[in-house]
Amino acid sequence: MAAIPRSFKLLEELEKGEKGLGSESCSYGLADSDDITMTNWNATIIGPPHSAHENRIYSLSIECGESYPDKPPTVRFLSKINLPCVGTTGVVDPKKLKILNLWKRSYSMEVVLLELRKEMSAPANRKLSQPPEGSVY
Amino acid sequence: MAALSKRIIRETERLVSDPVPGITAMPHEDNLRYFDVTIEGADQSPYEGGLFKLELFLPEDYPMVAPKVRFLTKIYHPNIDRLGRICLDTLKKNWTPAIQIRTLLLSIQSLLTSPNPDDPLANDVAECWKKDEAGAIQTAKEWTAKYAKKE
Repeated sequence: MAAIPRSFKLLEELEKGEKGLGSESCSYGLADSDDITMTNWNATIIGPPHSAHENRIYSLSIECGESYPDKPPTVRFLSKINLPCVGTTGVVDPKKLKILNLWKRSYSMEVVLLELRKEMSAPANRKLSQPPEGSVY
Repeated sequence: MAALSKRIIRETERLVSDPVPGITAMPHEDNLRYFDVTIEGADQSPYEGGLFKLELFLPEDYPMVAPKVRFLTKIYHPNIDRLGRICLDTLKKNWTPAIQIRTLLLSIQSLLTSPNPDDPLANDVAECWKKDEAGAIQTAKEWTAKYAKKE
């Protein structure tokens, strides 16, 4: 496979996000639409049904550094959440989320968001008591 | 990495040994499908005197699909958006495998001399271009001086 450079990979992800071609349960876009480096992104995850997260919308920030997609992005919850892989400041601990720990270049921001959503609805996590809705770090 | 096709090797050799006037294209050492490109703004255009950096990537299916190209230097042009994406038929519906990297770069160079505000990508720029062409050309000149200065 021809290794797609960072910028064209991010442009593909941006286009998918802009056109809404991806999953309906998450969204993502550039934090600054003028940022030619495409480093900082905003994202949302819609809480999965049948869990403590139902009807909640979580805001996140994603940073795709210079080594993305060779290295995974840094993901941070802006909305407060009680989830084992999320630290006290909202940062997702890469060691505790398999997809970040065993990152592959073919993955994307959307894959990470969907994996986090899956974590929210995992049997061990879905009943965890949650901070008040709307609270932020 | 997949082996480079003969065609890509031939095109690259020619781009380097027999460059198009006003255009350079150099492959990255660690990814021979990824090129650093520069295009000089044409004389008599608002981009005159500017040197614009671009990046170009040949996808796995090249030349069946078009290369991916974008501007890295900020440019005020109705068919180029704020992230440097280019709206050009040659890159989309008019792409054919007969087009080479050098021909494509030439069409991008000529897009700089003949902006097409009726098929815009940067909507705000296109509107200014249609409402006040002289003003838009002035802005394009200012941006060229500010962002595309030759080093």
